[in-house]
Amino acid sequence: MNNGVKQDAPRGWPLSPATVRAVLSGHGILGLAFAAIIYLVCLTGTLAVFAHDIARWEQPDAPSITAFAPGALDRAVRSAQVNGPAHATLYVALPSMEEAEASITAYTPALHREWAADRNGTLTERRTPIADFLIDLHVALHLPRAWGGFIVGLTGVALLSSLISGILAHPRIFKDAFHLRRGGARRLQEADMHNRLGIWALPFHVAIALTGALLGLSTLIVGVLAMLLYRGDTAKVYGLFTEAPPAINAVAAPLPPLEPLLAEARRRSGRAMPHQLIIERAGRADARITVSSERERLLVPQDTAIFDVQGRVVKDQHPADLVLGTKMLGGIGQLHFGWFGGLPVRLLYGLLGLALCIVTSSGVTIWLARRRDRGRAVPLWERLWAGITWGQPLALALVGIFGLFAPAQGSLLVWVWLGTTAGSIIIAGAARGFDASNGAVRVRHLVAASTLALALVYLVTRQIGLSGMAVELALLVGVGLLLRHPPTKHRREGQAAR
Amino acid sequence: MTALAALVAVIGGLAGAALLRRAWADRQRERAGLMAGGWAVLAGTVLLDAVWAGWVKGSALAVAGIGLAALIVVIQGRTVRAARAGRSASLAPEPLEGPSKAWRGWLKALLAGPLGMTAAMGIAFCYATWAPGDPRTRIIVGGLLMPVVWALAMTWTLADQRLLRSLAVLLGTTVAGFTLAAIRGLV
Repeated sequence: MNNGVKQDAPRGWPLSPATVRAVLSGHGILGLAFAAIIYLVCLTGTLAVFAHDIARWEQPDAPSITAFAPGALDRAVRSAQVNGPAHATLYVALPSMEEAEASITAYTPALHREWAADRNGTLTERRTPIADFLIDLHVALHLPRAWGGFIVGLTGVALLSSLISGILAHPRIFKDAFHLRRGGARRLQEADMHNRLGIWALPFHVAIALTGALLGLSTLIVGVLAMLLYRGDTAKVYGLFTEAPPAINAVAAPLPPLEPLLAEARRRSGRAMPHQLIIERAGRADARITVSSERERLLVPQDTAIFDVQGRVVKDQHPADLVLGTKMLGGIGQLHFGWFGGLPVRLLYGLLGLALCIVTSSGVTIWLARRRDRGRAVPLWERLWAGITWGQPLALALVGIFGLFAPAQGSLLVWVWLGTTAGSIIIAGAARGFDASNGAVRVRHLVAASTLALALVYLVTRQIGLSGMAVELALLVGVGLLLRHPPTKHRREGQAAR
Repeated sequence: MTALAALVAVIGGLAGAALLRRAWADRQRERAGLMAGGWAVLAGTVLLDAVWAGWVKGSALAVAGIGLAALIVVIQGRTVRAARAGRSASLAPEPLEGPSKAWRGWLKALLAGPLGMTAAMGIAFCYATWAPGDPRTRIIVGGLLMPVVWALAMTWTLADQRLLRSLAVLLGTTVAGFTLAAIRGLV
């Protein structure tokens, strides 16, 4: 946010003009150092908001249900127990009117399998390599979880710092709050866009950066806290937030019927609706079944009923029983990804996420334009930045195309992404004739073509359903916006903001 | 309910932002009534959604909706003009620039990166161990403090030209924070 910094900062602004300039300098350094990775994390994060929609789009034959038939839940869980890895914990996401889908994940640290269940409890293996790829790229950059998470967490801190310095370096924050000039000098145009998008979406951007930083750095924070207080035993820190495991009893025992447990959980929690089942040590006498239920006015489920293998209630918790820290822990992920209020919230998050991508991209463009204005243009960096900003949507579109053609080859998607990323940067760097200072229209058209190709490949490889149609429509809208000509005069200067 | 709450947020955001735009359009005089009205509409929208859809859920929804609505007002009121290269110089942002030594760059990176991180951890762990309340709440609030303090340290160290002062403060905070946290433990 580096426009409008005048030597005469308005009265009441806490920083002197010299300090404002120093903060602006730091803002620029930080932005340049982290721009590419912030942009990547923001772009993939914006798409990750729609991960469930993308998953349904790429696997349209996965069943969509709003309720199980009588007895179907038990059949589905038994089937997952038999087909999943040994000693797996089962996570059952129950269907509802808002989320018309039932899924079961059989999880062990080494291996996991996931299915979608139909109304009768028949399981269909989930095969959603594109959605999985996007989530993993956003969360850990496809690196080992500890390292990738740390880098993404550091990126969140850098973004948070950029937001703070951007505000401090903008003394006319309120007076300029509605100034958006298009045309004229490129640098002012980009600076206006950068500042307006950055300021009006600031609370959202701060929330996203903060929660993202905490999620990414959590492993490190817990590790260091454990070293400091528990001689490195991280289980003791995690144990503060989780139920202690039941006493070991490996004697074989069947699970109790699950529907009565859901009914009991519903009876105990009043208005809350069962949302998820977690089944640990299934098939043993020490099995534990946890039913989490959600209330409409709460961000995350806070009603929990825990049953033993006999179906007896072992523990019963409600929002009033939870400490603030436990409630906050549950809400951080939901708040970050926007998975708490259905499609309206996802759309808001998606649009504001897109705004953050533009803020990041325009920040570097402003720096490049300033160099050009002062006769110190850096055409190589202009081309490289165009290669990154337009190369990433291109790479993700190619990942989508490959994922649609070869859903069983999900592990290759990272190589498609890596190859396209490297290729776009190398080609942009080497293409001396390419004028990246003027909006990179040809590259934008290339991204539009690849997005259109993705939409067409879908029509060829999948049977289109309702969820598929929505994503197809979104892709076509994206193509339209990318192909749009620069706007003509909207309003004459001096007539605006009246 | 969520869809309606989102709609309320967007409508309230449009109204509040429109009032604020009118208030700030006149650069010569303050229009306090419009300004107060604009902020009141925005605050009222957040409050309404919070009461209606839940304090956390409704507030989050309202903040996102208002942000989007304000951007719509900004884009709707944009001005389009012809290029005037000379003008950019007078309004141009002017960050502090000048020759810089490589060692200063490396030291700044060290201060903003690892040292800022350890100082932030020191403060976060100090909070987690010494603050009143349930340990789980203290750990989560401490965890949230850590990125905030690290970000503030980054902002400060990258702007401050007195590197030794930054170094001393960050080192001192790290040592003090970790020592105090280790002395107290998680009680």
